[in-house]
Amino acid sequence: MSGLPVADRPVVRRAALGLIAVDRRAVVVVLLLHGAAAVAGLATPWLLGRIVDAVAAGAGTAELDRLALAIGGCVLAHGLLTRYAQYAGHRFGERAVARLREGFVARTLDLPISVVERAGTGELATRSSVDVTTVGSTVRDVVPVMVIASTQLTLLFGAVFLLHPLLGLVALTGLPSIVAVTRWYLRRARPAYLAEGAATAELTEALTTTAEGARTVEGLRLGAVRIAHGRQRIGRVWASRRATLALRSVFFPVVEASYALPIAAVLLFGGVLLDRDMATLGEVVAAALYLQQAIEPLDRLLQWMEQAQRGLASFARVLGVGQQSDPATTSVTAGAPRPRDPVPVRPGRLVVRGARFSYADGPDVLHGIDLAVRAGERLAIVGPSGAGKSTLARLLAGIDAPREGVVSLDGRPVTDLDPAERRRRIALVTQEHHVFIGTLRDNLAFAAPDASDEQMRAALAAVSADWYADLADGLDTQLGDGARELGAADAQQLALARLVLADPHILILDEATAALDPTTARRTERALAAVVSGRTVIAIAHRLNTAHDADRVAVLEDGRITELGSHDELVRAGGAYAALWHSWHG
Amino acid sequence: MPPQLPLAEPGTPDTRGPLWYIWWLVRCQPWRVLRGALIGTAWMLGLSLRPYLVARAIDDGLRAADYRTLLWWVAAIVAAGTGLAYLGIMRHRTMTFVREDASARSATVLSRHLSGIGAVLPRRLAAGDVATVGGADITHTSAVLTMTGPGVGAVLAYVFVAFVLWSVAPLLAVLVLLGVPAVVLVVAPLLRRLERVESVYRHQQGVLTTRAADIVAGLRVLAGVGGRGLFARRYAARSQQLLAEGYRVGAVNSWIEALTIVVPGLFLAAVVWLAARMAAAGDITIGQMVAVYGYVAVLIVPVWFLLEGGYQLIRGRVAARRIVALLNLTPDEVGPASPVGGTQPQPAPDGPADLHDPDTGLTVPAGRLLAVAADDPNAAVALADRLGRYVGSEVTWGGVPLTSIALDEVRARILVADHDSYLFAGTLRETLTVRAGSSDADLRVALRTASAEDIVDAHPDGLAMPVGARARTLSGGQRQRVRLARALLAEPDVLILIDPTSAVDSHTEARIARRLHAARAGRTTVVLTSSPLLLGNADLVAHLCQGRVVAVGSHVELLQGDPGYRALVSRDGVSADVDGSRR
Repeated sequence: MSGLPVADRPVVRRAALGLIAVDRRAVVVVLLLHGAAAVAGLATPWLLGRIVDAVAAGAGTAELDRLALAIGGCVLAHGLLTRYAQYAGHRFGERAVARLREGFVARTLDLPISVVERAGTGELATRSSVDVTTVGSTVRDVVPVMVIASTQLTLLFGAVFLLHPLLGLVALTGLPSIVAVTRWYLRRARPAYLAEGAATAELTEALTTTAEGARTVEGLRLGAVRIAHGRQRIGRVWASRRATLALRSVFFPVVEASYALPIAAVLLFGGVLLDRDMATLGEVVAAALYLQQAIEPLDRLLQWMEQAQRGLASFARVLGVGQQSDPATTSVTAGAPRPRDPVPVRPGRLVVRGARFSYADGPDVLHGIDLAVRAGERLAIVGPSGAGKSTLARLLAGIDAPREGVVSLDGRPVTDLDPAERRRRIALVTQEHHVFIGTLRDNLAFAAPDASDEQMRAALAAVSADWYADLADGLDTQLGDGARELGAADAQQLALARLVLADPHILILDEATAALDPTTARRTERALAAVVSGRTVIAIAHRLNTAHDADRVAVLEDGRITELGSHDELVRAGGAYAALWHSWHG
Repeated sequence: MPPQLPLAEPGTPDTRGPLWYIWWLVRCQPWRVLRGALIGTAWMLGLSLRPYLVARAIDDGLRAADYRTLLWWVAAIVAAGTGLAYLGIMRHRTMTFVREDASARSATVLSRHLSGIGAVLPRRLAAGDVATVGGADITHTSAVLTMTGPGVGAVLAYVFVAFVLWSVAPLLAVLVLLGVPAVVLVVAPLLRRLERVESVYRHQQGVLTTRAADIVAGLRVLAGVGGRGLFARRYAARSQQLLAEGYRVGAVNSWIEALTIVVPGLFLAAVVWLAARMAAAGDITIGQMVAVYGYVAVLIVPVWFLLEGGYQLIRGRVAARRIVALLNLTPDEVGPASPVGGTQPQPAPDGPADLHDPDTGLTVPAGRLLAVAADDPNAAVALADRLGRYVGSEVTWGGVPLTSIALDEVRARILVADHDSYLFAGTLRETLTVRAGSSDADLRVALRTASAEDIVDAHPDGLAMPVGARARTLSGGQRQRVRLARALLAEPDVLILIDPTSAVDSHTEARIARRLHAARAGRTTVVLTSSPLLLGNADLVAHLCQGRVVAVGSHVELLQGDPGYRALVSRDGVSADVDGSRR
């Protein structure tokens, strides 16, 4: 289903140990502080016992006051130690999570685009949001609870063993039922809670899309349909919640009932030991009280077990991203930005020889393409939808490699070029535009980090982005995510402005003006053409004035180039292009 | 007993305020809530049983070396453990049912309401707000109902302990009675403070998560024009900011954790100290002193429930306020201009009738296909909004002011099919079925008219092919044709299409233009376009220039008689430089 791998156990273990090893000293400090805090916490009930004994022995009020003061001291020490233990643990967790998420984003950015597309951006988006957040909250909220509870349990059971090793062994006899039911529960809990989460998200999505499409709901009178859709989602949420409740209905009572077993065993066996003078009354009583105190940390540990398991699964998915990333290309984000060498404007010759291509073992989409694009030429590619135009554009841009044949730039296969170098020489803009969250400047700057404001404004003007004049904050206008949303047409012009700034030698425009209305598209294309004169432009468009304006037109039909020539030549030839042109005129 | 969900009829919510709303959720399931309160109380009181039984086993069994009695008390400990486990899970189940009933009820009323508000909603609320209300807010509101079970139990347990203490020593009872609320009052604001600090952190975390998702969504763009390194560095910088914020949260958080240990701990020590001095003075017995400690220690559980309940109430009230605000948005209140000439709606024309828009001077003849070529795309959209009554206007339909006709009637008979018309997730069949009783044959006819058969034919599942929200899996041209097919299937008396072929190639466009005319024969259709293919297939063409109709006639007539029109619609690559004339 998913094209992205999940890290296996050894990798997860290595990564977890790595996070600890990097911060070894902090981890030691945290564990020591938590241990000390737990000791201080356990001293309180012990001192209370001393008070009872003191009263029974008829001690004076001075003795009682001293003991009470000692309790107060222990409580304060417990509080302070807990504070510093928690704080140190929290800082450690934050650092680990920050390292993790930054590494994740860096690896994501290094993924070859073909890997991203095979896996689907949805899968990657889930890992970047849900999984990274889950790991974060696990490290911050769950791990401290687990550490404290484990420390307390170790100390309490350790104390019972110290008191009387036999009683300690007896105490452990109460645990098998807890271990068994926990294993049973954890095996089933993960898929059940994942299903619950998915069902809940679907319900939220159902409500959100109803709101997003409110105008359509009203216009097409879909209210009843949307209500029925919502009801169905509510039903699914309920079914998934009942499934998890059924699991808890087994797990909780068995665990809770089991808490009594170690205490019962110690009392009974303690009676036998007492009878044979193998233990003192004090030892048995203390063991029973320690075990009673162990209930609370044990309960907390088990409550969080499922969360911890979910965190671990997310951790594996986060680590999985980038595992298959080609080490040769992972240098893109490392280190300082590469200086943009002043490469002389030399568009280069893009040649396709015998290129065949198929998507993921499917049938061939391109059947032997031969095409030589001259330096500085404007080439239009036209043809019916599904003919393979966009696929050809991807091969030309070096995003995909042909299954057979070669695409070369000045004699070198484009897929062999260093990615940064390739992007500087060839840029591809598709109709799939994306406006990044941030200012307008941010959205332009990444294509050309050194560009001045003046150059950015000029680039926007070059693609007829008239809407720029309406922006009160100019280049500082916030875009996306609740701020100003650019319409499809405006976003497309933004993408083209980036292209102007990036100033590559070869521009590939795949329906890059399709979202603009016909007149604006025309104007934008012409303005753009003036700016990029001298560069090679390969344009795919269903609007034929693009083809009319080009030096040459290639007609792509069913994965083959069937006609190639200038507009006038092809119209005169009276073939497929001529038919298309006449039809377009109406 | 488990509720029957989804609810057949959720009832009418009380939207006077957030607390009224929560109370309504309680009132809808009185018996279940009562059951939760009873079991919650029994469980809470049962918690004090185990320490008591252990004490008896030690005193009567071990200390007295009476092994028969020991056996009995140990058996009682195991039995009490089982009983408590049973009460615990029954409490959890009942309260889960209470919360789930409330959540499903909220989701149902929200779903009903959102489906009925209509076009005004996106202007009033961001989609993100609805996501918050539909997700976290429903859950937070339902969580308040937990108070009705263990919450009631906690209060009763508290009263019970105070009562028992009174019989031992009134002074201690007073100390506990006043001390416990004091502890709660000291700790509760700390939890609120924690919530505030955490919410800042969570907000920043959300922003960072959005950034990561943003990068993922834009990976293709970055692959096309570069800039990956810049994004990685920018993300890392923000991540470090969050790290610093996380340290701040940690500092506050850890102090609060410490105080929640120290404050109740010191209180307990004070009670024990007082009891010990009273025991030493002979005012109470040693056994009573131990019991006092036990009782106060037992109070910890109900006190924590009360603390958590208070915290849930604060959070739930904020959440419920947002739900109520959404439920109080009404279509009437925010609808287009109120009916002119009194409140009584006028009847719509019975059959086909002309639409007239005084703003532009445009008349849409009944039963014909009218194409409108506008010099300004925005003017075309505004015209469609007026004709479809998405805004108030002077438009008349068969002489009747459009705004005086019942809105539902207008929606049933006039459809504006715009570019951004929303495509809901589902199968293609579900996406296209906007009228009850449309058969697959009907769908295929409409798909053929929209020249969209290839989409279905190319997919192995045919009409059952899945379509994601906004149909992101389809190409721009495919989406446009699916929207057109859906609009045709609605079969409105008046269909207003905005640039329905802007994203398709010219062969397809020519086919659509021909088939559309045939498919809508005899019914009123308005096409806003500058495509000569569509204009050539219209019965009548109107040229809209600077907001007014300047010429009406056939496409050919206008091409010959109206130079402005010729310049506007010509696709003749050479002569059609219309830049200067337009801006």
